[in-house]
Amino acid sequence: MDTATIDLQQIGADIWAAILGLDLKPSHTRDQHDPAERVVTGCVQITGDWSGAVTVQCAESLARQATALMFGSEPDEVTEDEISDTVGELANMTGGNVKSLLAGNCQLSLPAVTTGQNYSVHIPSAQVVDRVTADCDGELVVMTMLERRA
Amino acid sequence: MKILVVDDSKAMRAIVKRALSNLDRVAGATIIEAADGKEGFDTVQAEKPDLVLSDWNMPEMTGIEFLQALNDAGVAVTFGFVTSESTPEMHELAKSNGAKFLVSKPFTPESIDQALAGVI
Repeated sequence: MDTATIDLQQIGADIWAAILGLDLKPSHTRDQHDPAERVVTGCVQITGDWSGAVTVQCAESLARQATALMFGSEPDEVTEDEISDTVGELANMTGGNVKSLLAGNCQLSLPAVTTGQNYSVHIPSAQVVDRVTADCDGELVVMTMLERRA
Repeated sequence: MKILVVDDSKAMRAIVKRALSNLDRVAGATIIEAADGKEGFDTVQAEKPDLVLSDWNMPEMTGIEFLQALNDAGVAVTFGFVTSESTPEMHELAKSNGAKFLVSKPFTPESIDQALAGVI
């Protein structure tokens, strides 16, 4: 399947609904996080016949809520490691679903997770081929597919 | 019944455990965990579970390497994958190595239950 036909919005919505019980809707009001917000980004890379990366990004407050749902605990009880684990797994599922739709032979990396304020994610030699924004209970979720081109 | 859940994500292990706890099919089962294929292999040897549910993409030893290691060691255990990757090639590789099923993430308790039907 060509990357242009991969529905990142639907993939994300299916994952957040099935795993977290949260509703992701296309966001038409915000398309990026406020520089003052602490943002968590999960990233998996895909190598092989198609090369690039998939990222999932949300505010730390939503990441904390998602982590609590994953672990069956309260948001104020979760640890930084658990938040990273959760967002990494959300990226892993998103990237794995994307990889399953790509033609040819590809490999999926283990996830990497970054947390901070006012930063951008760069994948060397890669360009954004799809970027979708979603709303989850008033919080912004950004999912991006980047393709590496030689 | 003893079930081993193998995934490098602690969050995903929690989700799988919760899904299993809601299934009548495995009511009362003891659920144990491992964080990668190598730890899973050692745990199978030590704990002798009745069922293994394993992720595919893990550090140290992948899920398919874990299954192959069990086969090489002559260890017979009912084994299924729960993984975010689901290509025809992976299904074939899993099946050819003796895996009973491959459930794609995201999953529901129902999809796990369907996979277990006829297996345990």
